[in-house]
Amino acid sequence: MIRGIWTAQSIAWLIVAALLPALVVVLIEQGLQGAFRIAVSLGAIGFWQLVFAVVRGQPMSPAGSVAAVAVAVLAPGEISIGQLVLALTFGTVIGELIFGGWGRNVLSSAVVALAFLYFSFPETQHDPAGIRIVLASVPAAILLLVTGILSVRVLFSAIAALVAVTFLLGEDASVLLTQGSLAFGLVFLVGDPVTSASTNPGRWLYGGLSGALAGLFGWAGAGFGAPQTIVYAALLASIFAPLIDHGVIATMGYLRRPDHG
Amino acid sequence: MIQKRNAIKISNWRGLAVSQSGAPLQEIRPANTVQTVGMLGADYPGVRAELLVSSGDQVIAGMPLFCDRKRKDILFTSPVAGRLTDITIGAKRRFSSLTIEIEGNQRTQFAIPEKPDRDQAQRLLLESGLWPGFLARPFGRIPNPGSAPDAIFITAMDTRPQAALASVVLAGRAETFERAVAFLTALTDGPVFVCQAPGPRLVDEGAQVRCATFDGAHPAGLAGTHVNRLFPVRGKRQVWQINYQDVLALGHLLETGELVSERIISLAGPCVRQPRLIRVPAGVNLTGLTDGELSDGAKCVLSGSALDGRESRYLGRYHWQISVWPRRPAVQARNWLRSAKARAQPGPVIPTEALEHALGPRIPVMPLVRALSVGDAETAERLGCRELLEEDMALITHRTGGRQDFSAMLRLVLNSLEVSA
Repeated sequence: MIRGIWTAQSIAWLIVAALLPALVVVLIEQGLQGAFRIAVSLGAIGFWQLVFAVVRGQPMSPAGSVAAVAVAVLAPGEISIGQLVLALTFGTVIGELIFGGWGRNVLSSAVVALAFLYFSFPETQHDPAGIRIVLASVPAAILLLVTGILSVRVLFSAIAALVAVTFLLGEDASVLLTQGSLAFGLVFLVGDPVTSASTNPGRWLYGGLSGALAGLFGWAGAGFGAPQTIVYAALLASIFAPLIDHGVIATMGYLRRPDHG
Repeated sequence: MIQKRNAIKISNWRGLAVSQSGAPLQEIRPANTVQTVGMLGADYPGVRAELLVSSGDQVIAGMPLFCDRKRKDILFTSPVAGRLTDITIGAKRRFSSLTIEIEGNQRTQFAIPEKPDRDQAQRLLLESGLWPGFLARPFGRIPNPGSAPDAIFITAMDTRPQAALASVVLAGRAETFERAVAFLTALTDGPVFVCQAPGPRLVDEGAQVRCATFDGAHPAGLAGTHVNRLFPVRGKRQVWQINYQDVLALGHLLETGELVSERIISLAGPCVRQPRLIRVPAGVNLTGLTDGELSDGAKCVLSGSALDGRESRYLGRYHWQISVWPRRPAVQARNWLRSAKARAQPGPVIPTEALEHALGPRIPVMPLVRALSVGDAETAERLGCRELLEEDMALITHRTGGRQDFSAMLRLVLNSLEVSA
């Protein structure tokens, strides 16, 4: 039997490749300070992965670097190195490694780390990511869609729900096009294959839920200018993802019963 | 209307398809003459073989070699005439393998019933040794003599990587095929589905015979996909599947009264110098057959495809191709970090959307994979795993990197369901 090449590891490397345009934008916009922060983030993530690899025999995964870039893009405010390391440690260990590493986690480590930063240090202001991140997210989305890592169903239903909520609230949908935080979050946080729903009908529901939540938070809450919007939407939606899957499977089981043809 | 309903397109994620390198030339070309053929006990899980011959015996084609101890009507017959040179018995005194040295060309003559009823049809299949060509779903065992399925599926296509095209194998043998299909209708009151790739119809539809075309990449050609779309196994239903080359062998038997266990297989893969189709006896010795055919370097010769093949001395009973692949060298751990990596658990299965296309039947893939990997038979059954066989899971195993064998996990779950059924 011949082994295929699409292991968890190679999928993780493809996600890293998709991150590269966003990384370039971060380096252009934030310069040396941005590079330093990403290096520190990667060091913290790598350290904890190594600890779990040696102690628990868990495979290390390059997918952890999503958190490093996500924090750079979605939390660019004045946070100290100590705060950064603390947030990433919490995100990586509590969000991912204690569940068995990337692929077995319920919430994405990037989302957990970001939520930790926003909650613990609410005084820090984070500027919204701009149009360049939108442009960087497009090739990333294409790469992940073509390889089947990012679900068409999730992305499409999330965008559709977001636009629908926008129209329901009577707002202007064209504003959404320039929101870098939103684009990056949709592709890498909401679209994370591990933490989204894993059945096809579930993917539609999950995408719709996260899009609708992002719309609500954006127009009625913190505003699309704040990167918190998409992070909280992704956090809530992925908490509901297992429930959505469970409902889908129960419904399918009901429909499969012999007396239902 | 029926035509439209039975033309089915199976979508697949081509971006993650299996390597097609070393695809065969779809023409039947000469091959090495081989001296020996063999039969393997491993081909028949669930059969406890009782040997009817002993080492050194002369056998002729069509002569029974062993039978199932529990169902003695099920005979396994010799594909060739020759001398039995070697019988090996494995653990727990189970039959492991036998080898026949080919000598002469004698064949058993079988009496062919004119208008067979179900009993006569079954008897001919059992005596000639073609009965084990059937596999029943659920559970994938050779069906019980005396039982009748709710439907029969003839798999007249093969979408495995580097497989032979059914249209090439069937070229010029339409009558033989059609005759055998008509014969098979005696076995069931239900439909007999002929599942084929797009193209001219292989048989005319009749009261029982139905044609269905399946388009698309693997797993479009698997019987599991066909059964799921046309006649799902639910409740107490049982369906039997059979490969078209077994049907051809039956057709030849009906025409001549002789068993010709010849099959046309593809000899292909990146390590084969001239990938092509060849005509070989069933159970052919792979070492003799591939002698001088392969490129240099370490490689593994698989009976079967890259997805569901296994390394073996002989061509398996349910294999229709030989594929040869480079062998990956074993990696030596050079330092503590690498050895920690090597000890690490197999990586998780990432629930990408691409993985949904790796399973032909409409069953949610990730819930099934999760249920199988923890051996949760109850959930797996609720999801519909009774409909599946090992071959259906092979693409999932391949696509997820092959460290976890979901076919073997499915077999464990099916075994436990079979016991409680």
